[in-house]
Amino acid sequence: MDDLRVPIGLIFTLFGVILLIAAFAAGYRAELTDVNVNLYGGIAMLVFGSVMLWLARRAS
Amino acid sequence: MKLAWIDYLLLALYFGFVLGIGWIVRRRVSTSEDFLTSGRSVPVWITSLAFIAANLGAQEVIGMCASGAKYGIMTAHFYWVGAVPAMLFVGIFMMPFYYGSRARSVPEYLKLRFDEKTRGLNAITFAVMTVFSSGISMYALGILFQLVLGWNFTNSVLLSAAIVLVYTLLGGLTSAIYNEVLQFFLIVLGFAPLAILSAYRAGGWSGIVSRLPENVTHTWRYLGNANANPMGVEAFALIAGLGFTLSFGYWCTNFLVVQRAMAADSMSAARRTPLVAAFPKMFLPFVVILPGIAALALSKMNVGYTLPSDNYNLVLTTLMAKFYPSGMLGIGLTALMASFMSGMAGNVSAFNTVWTYDIYQSYIRPNAPDAHYLWMGRIATVAGVALSILTAYVATAFNNIMDILQLVFSLVNAPLFATFLLGMFSKRTTGNGAFTGLLTGTIGGTLLLSLTVAEGKGGWIAQMYTFRSSMAQNFWIAMFAFALCFVVTYVVSLTSPPKPVSELHNLVYGVTDIPKDKEAVWYKRPAPLAIIVAVVLVILNILFW
Repeated sequence: MDDLRVPIGLIFTLFGVILLIAAFAAGYRAELTDVNVNLYGGIAMLVFGSVMLWLARRAS
Repeated sequence: MKLAWIDYLLLALYFGFVLGIGWIVRRRVSTSEDFLTSGRSVPVWITSLAFIAANLGAQEVIGMCASGAKYGIMTAHFYWVGAVPAMLFVGIFMMPFYYGSRARSVPEYLKLRFDEKTRGLNAITFAVMTVFSSGISMYALGILFQLVLGWNFTNSVLLSAAIVLVYTLLGGLTSAIYNEVLQFFLIVLGFAPLAILSAYRAGGWSGIVSRLPENVTHTWRYLGNANANPMGVEAFALIAGLGFTLSFGYWCTNFLVVQRAMAADSMSAARRTPLVAAFPKMFLPFVVILPGIAALALSKMNVGYTLPSDNYNLVLTTLMAKFYPSGMLGIGLTALMASFMSGMAGNVSAFNTVWTYDIYQSYIRPNAPDAHYLWMGRIATVAGVALSILTAYVATAFNNIMDILQLVFSLVNAPLFATFLLGMFSKRTTGNGAFTGLLTGTIGGTLLLSLTVAEGKGGWIAQMYTFRSSMAQNFWIAMFAFALCFVVTYVVSLTSPPKPVSELHNLVYGVTDIPKDKEAVWYKRPAPLAIIVAVVLVILNILFW
């Protein structure tokens, strides 16, 4: 449990999920871009978090 | 900037995790060394990310973005001429002495190499400096949140300080370092989208180049003449002042960063810490400086973005407000908070070690049982945070004094680097020489600062010379302080007897075994890593020539 990759993996997975929910459920928009920032940001964080968790799992 | 409940949720989650990490690693603390030096047990990927994160405070992030908008891509020199070469130097040449000496801090190394008075001078200067720096950045953050989000200054300062206090108190240096790694990833993932979105909106790099004057989008081409570039410096001042003196001084002698490498679990890992850290460090300009340059380009495009040119520190937050919708905005804000906390925890965890070992144990109460020093380390943590808060409040009333202090602090490591060079690479250097040199160099630099002026700063005694920019002033005075310390240390050393060679083992070049690591795979050896970094660094400089 002392593997630092676990908390890092968890928080980014969580952040990713929350951003994805925001991307689909709420119509948040930014002023200067048409890109769905929450969608791509959410995917990036979900991927990063999962990789961290996977690495930690593989090590233990 | 308007926040939605989701942004607060993300911020609250982050606070929870930071405290949780402190709670988990608290079990590792049973002695004062566990608390203050991590008991030399941290793996290299963690120490190397903490190595850069401790320096990546909120002021750094906000300031780099501001400088990007002000000076353009030349700001990257702080990384490509400054930090990275210095990191290679400290890893290859200096870490064998730091780690091999078994010193617990930079001042303690000075004690082993020279004498008590040199340690005392460095320990006291460093302790004062860290507390003030952390207070000043706390003030800057409080003001920023007040301005941008309308948060109450007292509340945001106290809340963020309380969280840093709790997790450093729980797990000591290990907790600070572990959280710095989390904070590093947050800073990168929180700000990189801003760089991508703003640069994309400005038409990519070619679009930015087409909209801005040439001397903002080149790093070297306009450095022949100080009048030709926005920084107001020429190549010599940049390489010798920023590169050699200031950056080598900072990355090689500042305990705040060196402490991270000293926490590594082996000599090899300690040497690789700054080298591995150099890889992400080289690319950080694309995360922290690029948004500033893009902002400058956007402001000339008539898309509804105006540069806050009366206060460049707002460039980062105004960009976030324009490009981040609620959700990502929460992440960006969390990243800002994370950068602040990593900077502050870095200061506090370096302060408590220097206070406990180099001041308290050395001068106030030696020979106490270890449990007593563990207790003192905790007290020093609380005191460090309390003094930072006090400084933040003093800063609200005496802004000018803080400006002066920051100018002086920016010079402190320059003469110290001369002391280290002479101490680590010459057996002839003596304690008397080091002490006199360090004192003269620091005072001489400060004196010169008070006699010259640049952009209205400095010149408190008289204004005998005006520099073209505050950067030029900073670089030239640092070179002067370095040279003064170097010469005085050398000359005074000749007048006093050197330490016998038997006392210099593992402290000085020539009487120290430098590990070769021949049997290790190439990526676990310092030299190949340093070569790769150097090659990539040269390529980056050429690309943005």
